[in-house]
Amino acid sequence: MVKDPNSSAPLKKKRKTVHGEAETESDIYQKICDNEVKEAKSRDSAKDSKLYYQTLSKIHEQLIKVRDLKLLGPKGSSEQYESLSSFLAEVVINICLIKKLNRMDKLNQVSERDSLNVEKQKCDSIKLNYQNLVYEFHHLLNETNKCLAFKSEFENIELVSFEEFMANAPESITSEFKNLNLNDSEATHSLKLATLEWELTQRKNLAEQCKLLEDQKKKIVSDITEKNAKLNEISPLLNTILKAAKPLQEHLGLSTTEMREEHPLALLLADPLYILYANIVAYKGAFETTLTVTIVGDKDEATQFNEAQEVVNANFLNEDDSEPEFDLPEVEEVVEVKKRRHRKAVQQVDPFEEKKKKLLEMHPLKVEVNFFVEDGPELSVNFSYYTKLKLVTVNSKVKVPTKITANSAKEILAGHNILSELIDSDTGLESPNPSTGYLLKKMGLGSFQLLIPDIGYAYGWAQSVCGINFLTSKKFCEKLSQQNVEITLKIIRKRLANRTHLARQMQQLESNILPSIPKSIDVPMTHVSQLNKWTSISFQEFCQASFTQTLIDEDFVTSSDLFYSVKIVRGEAVLETLVVIKNTYPTPAPLFALNLNYKGELNSTNCDEIRDMERILNVEWDHGVKSSSWLLSAQLTYLCSFLDIYLETLDQKDFPPNTKFIRTISGRNRRRPFVFRKIGTGIFSQY
Amino acid sequence: MVYNKINKQFYNTILTQAFSPCGIFLITGDIYGVLSIFNLSKIVNPEGNISKEELTPKNRITVKEGFQINSLVSTQQHLLVGGYGEIYAYLWKNIKGSNKNIQPAWSIELPSGQDDFNKAEVNSMSFNETSGILYGGGGDSKIYLFNLERRTILKVLNGHTDYIHSINIKNNQILSGAEDGLVNIWDLRTYKITAKIEPHLNSKIARSHLGKWIGAVDCNEDYIVCGGGPRLTLYHYRFLTNCAIFPIDDEGIHVSNIFDDKVFAGGRSKLFYQANFNGDIVTEIPTSGATTYSVIKQSNPFKILSIAGSSAKIDISLNCMYKDQQLSLY
Repeated sequence: MVKDPNSSAPLKKKRKTVHGEAETESDIYQKICDNEVKEAKSRDSAKDSKLYYQTLSKIHEQLIKVRDLKLLGPKGSSEQYESLSSFLAEVVINICLIKKLNRMDKLNQVSERDSLNVEKQKCDSIKLNYQNLVYEFHHLLNETNKCLAFKSEFENIELVSFEEFMANAPESITSEFKNLNLNDSEATHSLKLATLEWELTQRKNLAEQCKLLEDQKKKIVSDITEKNAKLNEISPLLNTILKAAKPLQEHLGLSTTEMREEHPLALLLADPLYILYANIVAYKGAFETTLTVTIVGDKDEATQFNEAQEVVNANFLNEDDSEPEFDLPEVEEVVEVKKRRHRKAVQQVDPFEEKKKKLLEMHPLKVEVNFFVEDGPELSVNFSYYTKLKLVTVNSKVKVPTKITANSAKEILAGHNILSELIDSDTGLESPNPSTGYLLKKMGLGSFQLLIPDIGYAYGWAQSVCGINFLTSKKFCEKLSQQNVEITLKIIRKRLANRTHLARQMQQLESNILPSIPKSIDVPMTHVSQLNKWTSISFQEFCQASFTQTLIDEDFVTSSDLFYSVKIVRGEAVLETLVVIKNTYPTPAPLFALNLNYKGELNSTNCDEIRDMERILNVEWDHGVKSSSWLLSAQLTYLCSFLDIYLETLDQKDFPPNTKFIRTISGRNRRRPFVFRKIGTGIFSQY
Repeated sequence: MVYNKINKQFYNTILTQAFSPCGIFLITGDIYGVLSIFNLSKIVNPEGNISKEELTPKNRITVKEGFQINSLVSTQQHLLVGGYGEIYAYLWKNIKGSNKNIQPAWSIELPSGQDDFNKAEVNSMSFNETSGILYGGGGDSKIYLFNLERRTILKVLNGHTDYIHSINIKNNQILSGAEDGLVNIWDLRTYKITAKIEPHLNSKIARSHLGKWIGAVDCNEDYIVCGGGPRLTLYHYRFLTNCAIFPIDDEGIHVSNIFDDKVFAGGRSKLFYQANFNGDIVTEIPTSGATTYSVIKQSNPFKILSIAGSSAKIDISLNCMYKDQQLSLY
């Protein structure tokens, strides 16, 4: 019935092609296939699908009609039958049509798929291209970053500043940067390059210069060594000339100064004394002129002694075994070195004396050092060296000036105590050499103190100025001596000055006069009590006094101190005063022990006022070393005033007041005004 | 110099002593203005030998360099120090501590005498715990009443013509002994002198060569004991008549106390005496110093009697009969 006009033509063609098939089977088939493909391409798939659905609905309708007809059953007429078969024929036609459509569709699909594949391939290749580009881009980016991050050596090079560069570099380089714009990066870059280049040329120049200078230096060094060698050759020549000239010089009498004469003698000194001598001479040259040092003794004797000593030393190794026999009383063996000695030994048969002599062998040369004080005493100190005892001992003499006549004043200057305790508790009464005790015991000579009258005092400081230090293993050490010479000489000088001051004060005290005191020192001037009978006493006498026991118990005094007694008198009252002066006067200050005889005996053990007086005199004096010229006098002046105060506060009838004070007594301890204040002529108060 | 340093302590004099409220520490005040603090616990219960360290002060406080400490009073909180023109208060907890540099918590200055010569020593102090009033007398012949809380002067009592050595409070009365030879008895309600004793007027008691000064005065309910230049004498409180003169060999009394039923007395004498009210001497203890200036006694937490004076040594007696131990300032 209704046929698609579009579809009818291909159907006809199709039939034709089916006809042609029989003729050339393969060709036709190929052609048909090609045709079909063409047809499929030319057809519109959307229309085909519409046609497909139409066809389906037609089949549907026709089948419904067929069924209706069939339901009518056999009763149907032939007419009906005809229409039934025509309907069925149409259905079959339509099914053929559907089949055709299906085939077209299939073919179409194939061709579409092919074309899709082609497109896909195209797409892939484009994508690949694109990815390559991206990769390349990243790679380039990395490279640029690397470039940017690159650090070159030139950044570490210290470059000259822009101004300096402009000033120093040649015009040809700098001209383009005269109008430099700092924001222009290219300009700054080229500036940098230029500066770097300039730096390089400069450095090259400097390196060259350095090389030149080094060459010069080498040359000069070689010159110097050459000249040194020449000089060395000259020196022995000079020596021989000097030697040759000596007899001539002597003949002409050119070298006869005192110093040179003494020097050969110095070479003969015992080692410790030589060190002492050398150091004192050096010290004298550097500081003082009022000091003299001389070597006392016979030159020949010294040479002999030294030679003998060498012989003994040489034999010493061999004699080692026989040494224990040394202490046997064999006189003959002991004397062998010198004839003179032998004779003496024979004369003195006493083996004890001989032993003693042997032990107390002394070097014949001594060193004498003299100290002077202007219009004062002269102190000469004699150092001797005992070779067996290995000790330096000291004997001292003082020339007391004629002006000083008082006994106590003479005493304080003379004698050994002027040198005693220069250093704490160095009395010189004990040997600083620990081996001395054993030596003396071995020889049965008793204590060292018994020897002192014979040999002199063995002060510790005397050992140290001679470079002998018994505490360390080194025996003679020049450094030790050098350190000590200056200190010790200063101390001796100071000591001598202090003693002179003391002597001058005692000179006046002995004639019952209180020496005058410099005005800068506050002392009470108006005392009534008088000084009487200044004398020196011994340690034993000091100990025997009833009121000194507590001071002795407390170890405030030792037997090596100096003791004096004085009386201070006012009316019936007599103040017995014992004064202890330390060897190291004026530090610490002299100590006072008081005993008042007035209506009974009053002293520090039974009277607080006397105790208070003692306290102020003994405790509150710390004026240092400079006070030596007036300290003792000042203390005695105070003491006189204290006695006045005590008596005046005790009994105003018997002792009319002369001293000014604010309150006579105060406090629970009924304290007396013993504190002096320099107000007007002076006032005393309790505080 | 070493010598000078030892000398200084050797000549020291202790004028006053006090126990801490706990009873373990002994404080002394000396003429150099230094408080020395001793720990007594080791000395009271000796285990083996006592080292020299335990016999010397554990700590020292310099109150005012060179100005003597005249009196000490111990309260629950403070140690009150009578100095020269000033009363200082130290906290006990500071004193007991180990700190070396101890400063006073506060101080009261006496009004009289502004220059260094004229200030008044605070020779004697007494403290009433219940009323919180501190009584002090000394160099300017006046007795001051201080309110300790406010540290102000409540009242000044004028009645002596010379400086005061010793004061003592009992109930509502104060007794004061002075250099002018008077013992005044004051009524604290009226602040008037109710009675006075003048021992130097009695020829049996007076010792003209020593002077008329009264160095110490103490009392209990029935008796007054006083002495100084005049002999140590016991008086009836009510009748103020002399009932006993003690046969003591001395050159001036500086300490007299009534402890329980005994009279303790010392002064410029080699011995320290204990006597009963009949005037008989019970015990004599030899002293280290020439003069005794301070005696204190306590029963709790342990019995101890401490005697000090013009010596750097302090004599300690545990049974009040003889010297057990000797403390030293150096």
